[in-house]
Amino acid sequence: MSALVVDTIRKSFGDVETLKGIDISLESGEFLVLLGASGCGKSTLLNIIAGLAEPTGGDIRLNGRSLIGVHPKDRDIAMVFQSYALYPNLTVRRNIGFGLEMRKVPAAEREKAVLEAARLLQIEPLLDRRPSQLSGGQRQRVAIGRALVRNPQLFLFDEPLSNLDAKLRMEMRTELKRLHQMMKTTVVYVTHDQIEAMTLATRIAVMRNGQIEQLGTPEEIYNRPATLYVATFVGAPPMNLLDVTATAEGLLIAGSDRVIPLPPPLLAAVPHGKTLKLGIRPECFRAESSGGLPLTLRCEVVELTGPELILSGNVGGQRLVATLSPRTRAVAGSDVTLALDTEALHLFDAETGKRIDLRAD
Amino acid sequence: MSGTWLTTRAWLLMLPLLIVMVAVIGWPLADTVQLSFTDAKLVGTSGSYVGFDNYVRLVSGNAFGRTLFTTTFFAVVVVTVEMLFGVLAALLLNQRFHGRTLLRALLILPWALPTVVNATLWRLIYNPEYGALNAALTQIGILDNYRSWLGEPGTALTALIVADCWKNFPLVAMIALAALQAVPRDVIAASYVDGASAFSRFRFVTLPYLAGPLMVALVLRTIEAFKVFDIIWVMTRGGPANSTRTMSILVYQEAFSFQRAGSGASLALIVTLIITVLAVAYGTVVKKVAGSAA
Amino acid sequence: MERQSPLFRLFLHAAALLLAAIILTPLLWLFVMSISPAADLAAKPLRWWPATMDFSRYATLLSSVENSAGAAFMASLRNSLMVAGMATVAAVALAVPAGWAVSRTPSVGWSLSVVIATYMLPPVALAVPLYMALAKFGLLNSVFGLALVYLTILAPFTTWLMKSGFDGIPREIEQAAVIDGASLWQTLRIITLPLAMPVVATSALFAFLLGWDEFFYALLFTSDQRAKTLTVAIADLAGGRVSDYGLIATAGVLAALPPVLVGLVMQRALISGLTSGGVKG
Ligand SMILES: Nc1ncnc2c1ncn2[C@@H]1O[C@H](COP(=O)(O)OP(=O)(O)OP(=O)(O)O)[C@@H](O)[C@H]1O
Ligand SMILES: [Mg+2]
Repeated sequence: MSALVVDTIRKSFGDVETLKGIDISLESGEFLVLLGASGCGKSTLLNIIAGLAEPTGGDIRLNGRSLIGVHPKDRDIAMVFQSYALYPNLTVRRNIGFGLEMRKVPAAEREKAVLEAARLLQIEPLLDRRPSQLSGGQRQRVAIGRALVRNPQLFLFDEPLSNLDAKLRMEMRTELKRLHQMMKTTVVYVTHDQIEAMTLATRIAVMRNGQIEQLGTPEEIYNRPATLYVATFVGAPPMNLLDVTATAEGLLIAGSDRVIPLPPPLLAAVPHGKTLKLGIRPECFRAESSGGLPLTLRCEVVELTGPELILSGNVGGQRLVATLSPRTRAVAGSDVTLALDTEALHLFDAETGKRIDLRAD
Repeated sequence: MSGTWLTTRAWLLMLPLLIVMVAVIGWPLADTVQLSFTDAKLVGTSGSYVGFDNYVRLVSGNAFGRTLFTTTFFAVVVVTVEMLFGVLAALLLNQRFHGRTLLRALLILPWALPTVVNATLWRLIYNPEYGALNAALTQIGILDNYRSWLGEPGTALTALIVADCWKNFPLVAMIALAALQAVPRDVIAASYVDGASAFSRFRFVTLPYLAGPLMVALVLRTIEAFKVFDIIWVMTRGGPANSTRTMSILVYQEAFSFQRAGSGASLALIVTLIITVLAVAYGTVVKKVAGSAA
Repeated sequence: MERQSPLFRLFLHAAALLLAAIILTPLLWLFVMSISPAADLAAKPLRWWPATMDFSRYATLLSSVENSAGAAFMASLRNSLMVAGMATVAAVALAVPAGWAVSRTPSVGWSLSVVIATYMLPPVALAVPLYMALAKFGLLNSVFGLALVYLTILAPFTTWLMKSGFDGIPREIEQAAVIDGASLWQTLRIITLPLAMPVVATSALFAFLLGWDEFFYALLFTSDQRAKTLTVAIADLAGGRVSDYGLIATAGVLAALPPVLVGLVMQRALISGLTSGGVKG
């Protein structure tokens, strides 16, 4: 049985439909990341699961029990807010224990649970401070502690790391992953940071305009993006997109006479004559002239970042970025031939944005 | 936590306030409207229906026109002076000089002084026999003989206006100063870097931040100036020869001195109408200014 | 920032001195009158500073000997405290739930706009029915009746201030409490109200100052020592009978002292209250 089921959830504010039928089903212990641009409805969905907002239609089930009409406090859900939403007038100890206090858990038991959570998060020395006396990272830990201590069936996180600086964010990310592996509670986690999504999730739901574009494991999202939107949203630098048309030999790059040769069995799946979008991740290029499919481009800018070399260029006037090994030798203004594997090619219908599968499977 | 329940809960929480407001404002206002169509006396007869008689009689009577003019004159002068003086004081207090903090603190004194104490104070200053103004002016040599500042129709209104401006310009100054302090420092710095003159810096950098709050101050002060009663009542009671009689004083006289509740009510409603029209007109302007400043 | 030229600095200091003089002179004179012997105040040419300071009028007004000027003054002082105090407590009690409701449920906000719009009503538009109603319930010349009437002014204003105060407290904090299992009452009592305490205090101060300052309704609805407030008592003094101007000035100083002290001490809170209302409008 699925732990959490989101069943055609809709939500309208006045005339505007913010969520247009969301379907998700999670196994117990999964870590689902809702990934999407600002304003796509992530927080709205999270608030509906938490019970802070009422859906216009649809159902939410947690371990088989419908949550519609159930008061937030009776849902057995804990939530960590983007702004932390700590109680500024209460000590850290009372902040963490507040949920238990409200549930009339005896003081001794409560204290034990608070200490346990504080130990896990390494904030024991801070228990008697108030939130204003904490650093951003410490506040974040308290907010997580407040959720942790309740031992709920479901954790909700709304962009919990977005107010932290880059270094702390990385630390907390690892910390969250460690906690999840230890507690094995189901998690729904909102972010618009794709690295967070890729590293934390067991599954990612990429959202756009109140709909789910693709729901899948991080590998699926990265290796087989279902739409152009998903393809460009995940990955940095973003996936290269080239206008191409399929011919008898392979894919003809628009604006040039270059053709990426494709083996006939693969080519058969591709609609001929139509303009298509060809997606290639920058990191899929190899700096070899032999082996794989060759692609020659005009090199314009070469940037060495240290661990890698970023090459920007164009083919037939279309921009292209490749990240290569730092030992690659490339000169701006000259032509370079790079190699690709067929697995690195992603084809999309230019009009619908839908993926066209090249493999026979 | 459905939407309808939240709304119901909100109404429940508002209910005590709304009940009290209906009891002490809504119902009396409705009653005033009803009274205004009768010839009721303050005590005794509840009066009979006379239609628009009160309105017609009042508006065509000569007291009305003159009083409306006095009120408008008072309001326009007082508000103009207060806004000008308030902004100037705020600009000054936004500069760096010794004793700035102290002066900012002093600004709150006239505002905090109760209106009636202010009126009494100025009444004493203007006293025809022992007043400080007479004493000062004669000792400097500007004045030969003591004058009755509040007793002569020619000077009474001006004397009132001075007293009112002294009390109320600090409010405008405080609002303007807060707005000035809200101008981001780097915007000002940028204007220096861009080589803006002091005037264009005021016009294009400072004024947009000032415009919204100042408009609000303007609206509040205009409404209050139109409603003015306390200071005038204490200083002149509308005299001499009705030269300082404003609308609120006229209503008071009609309803309470002459005990003509019905016609007092009509007059009060006319005042209300004028203020509402003013406020709505201003409100439209405020929206525009706020919109363009934001 | 630009450096001030010497001439400009001179100008600034001169202007500041002028402003200080404008603000302080009338106030100082009020105080000087209150401590000058009657003969000094009636002298021609006027004595600007008394030969001997005379604080006896303060003693006179603050004494409670039967039928003295002091008894009347003390009665009005007590009445003012009671009326302003009761009206403040009632206004804040109404404003806190209403302000919170409007802040958290914008769909009911229009009703507060209506309440606030009553600010435009001149008190004379309500005075006659209020007078008749108070007469009917026997509340004329009563501190309770007057406090009730003061709600017409105090309640809209405090609600407005409370609403902007609650707007400054993030909703998420309350949502977190709800998820933590707190009831509405617990959320408000343990979380929101303690956070809103500074705003409650500011609102109460404002309300008290408004009540302390009120004159029109007090003039109409009170007639003797049982309910007459300080403002009416001072207006009475100023309006005649008393020949010692120093005594009037003394009453003025005493009536001004509480709000002026509050103003000086609470300056920051008051100004932020004024402008938060002013800016958000
Ligand atoms: N109470 C509301 N009333 C009206 N519209 C709302 C309300 N709450 C959210 N919206 C709208 O719904 C859309 C989705 O909002 P939501 O907060 O869910 O976005 P989000 O994906 O969480 O964005 P972000 O990454 O910026 O947090 C937005 O366009 C927002 O304007
Ligand atoms: Mg959000």
